Amino acid sequence: MSGDEMIFDPNMTKKKKKKKKPFMLEEDGGEGPGAAEEAKEVETKEVEPEAGEDKEVDFDEDDSRKKETSDDLNDLNFFNQKKKKKKPKKVFDNELEEGMKELKIEGEQTEPLEEDNLDLMLPAKKKKPRKVEFDEGELEKDDTLEDDDSKNNDGISFSSSTGPAWAGSERDYTYDELLNRVFNIMREKNPDMVAGEKRKFVMKPPQVVRVGTKKTSFVNFTDICKLLHRQPKHLLAFLLAELGTSGSIDGNNQLVIKGRFQQKQIENVLRRYIKEYVTCHTCRSPETILQKDTRLYFLQCETCHSRCSVASIKTGFQAVTGKRAQLRAKAT
Amino acid sequence: MSTIQNLKTFDPFDDATKGDDSLPAGTEDCIHIRIQQRNGRKTLTTVQGISEHYDKKMIMKHFKRIFACNGTVIEHPEYGEVIQLQGDQRRHISQFLLDSGLAKKEQIKLHGF
Repeated sequence: MSGDEMIFDPNMTKKKKKKKKPFMLEEDGGEGPGAAEEAKEVETKEVEPEAGEDKEVDFDEDDSRKKETSDDLNDLNFFNQKKKKKKPKKVFDNELEEGMKELKIEGEQTEPLEEDNLDLMLPAKKKKPRKVEFDEGELEKDDTLEDDDSKNNDGISFSSSTGPAWAGSERDYTYDELLNRVFNIMREKNPDMVAGEKRKFVMKPPQVVRVGTKKTSFVNFTDICKLLHRQPKHLLAFLLAELGTSGSIDGNNQLVIKGRFQQKQIENVLRRYIKEYVTCHTCRSPETILQKDTRLYFLQCETCHSRCSVASIKTGFQAVTGKRAQLRAKAT
Repeated sequence: MSTIQNLKTFDPFDDATKGDDSLPAGTEDCIHIRIQQRNGRKTLTTVQGISEHYDKKMIMKHFKRIFACNGTVIEHPEYGEVIQLQGDQRRHISQFLLDSGLAKKEQIKLHGF
């Protein structure tokens, strides 16, 4: 090819030498990815000189060969899309004179085409994140509507983003990547887990009504006992021990406690009861059974089948709050 | 023979019950702070389970001064010495126990509403 250069040198201006050299580089470089970059360099270099001299020379032959070049351009476009390896080869299959001119023409014409491609690409890339933000439903439609170029790019981008990053490469996966992958899989398999990470234990609020001035009635006491699957006796003992008072279940299955209590206060105590005697200490699920075993209460979980002992209910020290005279009268 | 350590009369575990510096001495399980309602909106606060290594009367004096309330130390056959204070002092007492290092947070049990 160097001989060809020598032949063309006197005919053509020095500027064309510059054009040749990058192409020579292409030949030498062979089929590397750098070809695309070099081609772009060529184009950028060619644009300025061609405006003056080359077009005058080429216009005569352009009419006949533009069709050929256009055919070539179609091919070239495809190659540009997929791989730009074959571009130099194709060019040099042609006769050298024509090849030189064609190269110029291609350089001219591929430029805007590539720009078009770039223009097409950019909006396509811009569209995606926007749509991801707004609507996921539209994404699929738009993907189908988009051009082949963008689709190709899509495939590449998706493969790089969603697929494991280490799949194609030699390198080993890192811990973080594996962790992310596991979590993604877990979220895919059971989407409830993300929202239900913290399972809430919902139950009815206790209805607390004042009876007279000194007594409080817990109206839905038995309902709550049923809801918690606990013996009313057990909950009663706990409530009375915690509140430090006395009380009993009356005929309407409501608990009457001595003393003034508000619903909030009873709620607090109930919450403590549920935490200690209803929810499993290991997995926090409320499906548990409280069973008595050799004077000790054991909490058996139905979901994780763990079994642990729970504290016994102790009233502890009770101060004398009533009238001491009455106590003395009772004792005697 | 006195050089042989095994035959010494000194018991290395003599003061084991006093516990180490992190664990308050003698508190087997925990300190219970309870509240009881009296007539009207009056209440009583009882503190049960403070180790016998501490002088309840001194603690009582301190409580009375800083909480501005009255109270007594009651001797109970089962629960030992129990501090009894007037009014709802549960928060104050737990704060005091934590600050003074008499008990750790998991050793304090707050009862009542």
